[in-house]
Amino acid sequence: MRFIDEFINYMSSVDAAKLFRMFWFFFIFEFFRFFLVEISTIIFWKFDSIFRKKGIADARLSLIKNQPLVSIIVPGRNEGKHIYKLVNSLKEQTYQNFELIVIDDGSDDDTAAICRNLEHRGMITAFYRNDVRGGKASAANLGLRFARGEFIVHFDADCSYDRDAIENILVPFYYNPKIGAIGGNIQVRNYKESLCATLQALEYYDTISIGRITTGELGIYRVISGAFGAFRKEALDRLGGWDIGPGLDGDITVKIRKLGYKIHFEPTAVCQTNVPITFNRLIKQRLRWDKSLIRFRLRKHRDVFFPNDSFKFSNFISFMENVTYNLILNIKWYFYLLDMVFNFTSQLIFIIPMNIVLYTVNNFMKFLVFSPFRDRKNEGITYFLIYIPLMVFYFGYFLRILRTVAYVQEVFFKASYKDEWNPAKSSRQAKALKL
Amino acid sequence: MSLKIVPQNVEIRNNKIEFENLLFFIIDSNSNTKIEPLIGYDAIIIDAKDADFAQLVLRKIRGHYNPEFYLKPVFLINYKESKDPILHTMNDGFIHSYDQLKEIADIAKQLFLKTTQLDYQPVATFEAQIIKKVLNYMYTRDLKTLKPIPDLNSVIGYTYPEISINFDSTEESQVLEILEWGEKEGLIWPDFYERIYLCNQCSGGFLSYREVCPHCNSSNSSAQDLVHHFPCAYIGPISDFRNNVDNSLTCPKCNKALRHIGVDYDKPSIIHHCNNCDKNFQDFFVRAKCISCTQDVEVQYLIPKSINIYKLTKRGRTAAANGFLSSGKEVDDIFGTLSMPVFKTMLHYEIERIKENTEQKSSIAIINIENILELYKKIGKKAEKTVLESVVNLIRENIKPTDFMAFENSTTLYMCLINNDFIQTESDLTKLKSLIEKLIKNNFNDFEVKINFKASLLQPFNKSEFQLDELTKELFD
Ligand SMILES: [Zn+2]
Ligand SMILES: [Zn+2]
Ligand SMILES: [Zn+2]
Repeated sequence: MRFIDEFINYMSSVDAAKLFRMFWFFFIFEFFRFFLVEISTIIFWKFDSIFRKKGIADARLSLIKNQPLVSIIVPGRNEGKHIYKLVNSLKEQTYQNFELIVIDDGSDDDTAAICRNLEHRGMITAFYRNDVRGGKASAANLGLRFARGEFIVHFDADCSYDRDAIENILVPFYYNPKIGAIGGNIQVRNYKESLCATLQALEYYDTISIGRITTGELGIYRVISGAFGAFRKEALDRLGGWDIGPGLDGDITVKIRKLGYKIHFEPTAVCQTNVPITFNRLIKQRLRWDKSLIRFRLRKHRDVFFPNDSFKFSNFISFMENVTYNLILNIKWYFYLLDMVFNFTSQLIFIIPMNIVLYTVNNFMKFLVFSPFRDRKNEGITYFLIYIPLMVFYFGYFLRILRTVAYVQEVFFKASYKDEWNPAKSSRQAKALKL
Repeated sequence: MSLKIVPQNVEIRNNKIEFENLLFFIIDSNSNTKIEPLIGYDAIIIDAKDADFAQLVLRKIRGHYNPEFYLKPVFLINYKESKDPILHTMNDGFIHSYDQLKEIADIAKQLFLKTTQLDYQPVATFEAQIIKKVLNYMYTRDLKTLKPIPDLNSVIGYTYPEISINFDSTEESQVLEILEWGEKEGLIWPDFYERIYLCNQCSGGFLSYREVCPHCNSSNSSAQDLVHHFPCAYIGPISDFRNNVDNSLTCPKCNKALRHIGVDYDKPSIIHHCNNCDKNFQDFFVRAKCISCTQDVEVQYLIPKSINIYKLTKRGRTAAANGFLSSGKEVDDIFGTLSMPVFKTMLHYEIERIKENTEQKSSIAIINIENILELYKKIGKKAEKTVLESVVNLIRENIKPTDFMAFENSTTLYMCLINNDFIQTESDLTKLKSLIEKLIKNNFNDFEVKINFKASLLQPFNKSEFQLDELTKELFD
C-alpha cells in the first residue's frame, strides 16, 4: 500500500516535459502511431466510406453481372482432414462461380486419398499432388499454373469463411481497377480455447482488423495473409507466382505493389482461423514469421530503398514503415530500456509500473474506441475486457522478446534457410542465390 | 453318287462304308448337314478338307442333346492342323486315307464298349444335364482334365471344348457357371490357371483398357512431366520450359536454364491433359470398353473370374459311369407342383381311394420335353425357371384343381389325373402337348420343342413307385 502511495505521489510531482522524457518511447511510438494515427485514419475511413457507398454498390453489381470465374487455390501438406469441411462450407458461399483447386505438397498421410475421392465426386474441381515435396510456394504455383479463373483466391485448408467472404473480397477489384490484390479480414476462431488463443484474438483484432484498415487506407498495407487473399491472375502470372518462403505472403504483396498495383484490405471479407493454443507453438510460429521480415524486407527487396525503375514512393514508405515499426522499433525499445536504466536508475521502480499503467490505459482506450468500428464481432466487448490488462505483457514483452530472438537468429545466422518449413533442396538454392 | 474302291476292297457307296460289321458314314462338303438321319450309323467320318464345314458338322454332333449323337465316334479325314479348338480336340482320331479304316474301327469298338457302361438316368437340372453329358464324354474318351484353350472365337477369350460345345460362342460365360456348379458338386477340382475380367453387362471378355479423363471419360489425353524449378519455385508442365530452337530447358519465370535434376530442379509428378474437355488431371480412371457390347465401364465393376484347369474328382469319375444325384436344389419350388416325395405320398392315397371305389378310374402320366436343353442353351440358364413356370401354368389351366403333378427333373414331369379314364387322359395329353409346343414356339423365337408323353390307368393293386417306373420305361424305350 505504501508503494502505491509513493508511486502516485511521485507521478503527480512529474511535469509534462519530464513525463515525456521518461516515457518517450510510449508517446512517440505507441500512442502516436498506434493510437492517434490509427484513430484518425479509421475516422476518416468511416467518414469516407459514406461517399464510397454508391461506388461499392455499383462494383458489387458489376461483379454479380460479370460472374468472373474465380480460382480458389488451397495449397497444403497433410491437410486432407480439413478439406471435406472446407468443400462443404463453400457450398454456402453467396458467390458460386469458382473452381476449387487443392494442391497437395507431398503429404505422407491420407490427404491424397481423401482429395482424389472428393475430386471424383466432383466436389473439388482439380486435385494436384507433388509426390515429392516442393514447399508451399511451389504448391501454390502449381495451382496457379492450372487455374483458369480471372481472379485467384488463396485459402488455407484449416480456415473457414463467412458466407459472403468470396463475394466481399472480390468487390474491390470492380471498385478500383488499379487494385491488384486484396487481403481478407482474419479472425481467431478458437479464441476461447486457451489464454494464449484469447490474447491472439485480441492481437488479431488489433493489428489485423484495425491495423490493416489503417495501413490499407494509408497505402502501406504490407502482408496479404495466405489464409485469405485475392489476386488478379494477370498480376500473379506476370510475376510467375510465389517465390520460396517463408514469408512468401509478404513477398508477393511487395512484388504486386512493385508492378504498380494497389493493395487493398477488405474488412468485410471475413475468414476464421485457428491459432496456436499453447505458447510453445505460438513461439515457433512467430519466430518463423519474424525471420521472414528480415529476409524479405531487408535482404531480398532492398531495391525499394534505392531509387530505380521500379521505385515507388509509397513502396518506400511501406518499407520504411514496416522496418521502422518492426525492426527499428524493436531496437529503439532497447535504447529506451538502456536510457532508463542509466539515466533514471533510481526511478526505475516507478517507471516500470507507470509504463504498464500507460500501456494498459492505452489498450483499454483503443479497444473501446475501435470496437464500434468492428462490423463483424466474434464476441461481445465484455468477453475481452478482462484480458486487456494482460496485453501489455503479451504485446510489450512476450512478442517483443520473440521478435528480437528471431531478428538476431536471422541477421547473424540466416536461420530461415535451415527452416524445416521448406524442403532442403529449395533452401539450398535460395541461400546460394541470396534470395 | 460316288463310287470309290479303296484298297482292301472296301466299297464306298453313297458315302457309306461297311467295315468289320461297323457302318461308317462319310460327311463331305456335298452332304446334307442335317445329322438326325445318321442315328443308325456306328461312326462318322468327316471330310475335313473344308475345315469350316467339318467344324460345323462336328459341333452339331457333339452339341446334340442326345447321347446317341454326342458320344458317337467321329473321325476326320484330310485333316490339317486347325486353330479351331473343337475340331482339334473333339474328334476321335484322324486318317489320311481309307487304308487306315482298321485303326479307327478299333477305336470305335473301344468307344462302344465304354458307352455301354454308362448310365443314362435323367438328372434334375440344366447344369446337371450338361455336366452329365461332359462326364460321359470324358469317361468314354478317357479324359482326366478339362483344359481351357485360348480362343479368339470365344467371347471370354477361353474355351473348354467339351463344355463350350453346348453353347454358342457368345454364351461362353455360361460355361463358367456350369464349371462352378460342377465344382460345388464335388465332381471336378479346380487348379488355378488364369484370371480374367468380364463385362458386367454381357459377360464378354474382350475388353479394351484405357486411361481416361476423370471428368469426361475421354481417352484422348496426353501426359507430361511436371517440372519444379527450385530457385524461383516455378512449377509447370515440361512444355513450359521448352523452346522451339534447341533442346535446352529454360525456366519461364526466371529465365535460367535448368541444369541438373535433383540440384536445381526436379520432376515431382506427372500431369495429364484431356484434349476432349481441356481439363488437367493427375489421377486418370482406367476404364474397360467391351468389344462385344461396346459398354464402357470402370474396371472396378468388371466381373473377375478364375479360369481353372479342372480335374475329375473320384466322385466325378464314379458319376461319369454310374450317374449321380445332385445334392443341389431340384425343380420342386415351381408354384403349382409338388415335390417328388409328396407326389408319391399323394399317389399312394389315390391308389387307396380307387381300391375302395372300384368304379372310379384315375390315370397317371409322364411328360418329357426331349430337347429342352437346346432351348436353355439359346435363352440362358436363368430362364429355366421361367420356362417351367409358364409350362406349369398352362397345364394347370387345363386340368382339374384336384389333379397334381411333380417334376422329376427339369425335363420330366409326372401327373396324376383324378377321375380320368385312359382315353380321356390320352386326349387331354395330346391337347396339352400341342398347347405347350405352341407356347414355347410363340415365346422363344419359334423354338420347336419335342414333347413325348405316356399315360396309363392307375392300378389299384400295384405300388405307386412301380407304376411310375413302368410308365417311365415305356416312355424312354
Ligand atoms: Zn525459375
Ligand atoms: Zn476430359
Ligand atoms: Zn459387354
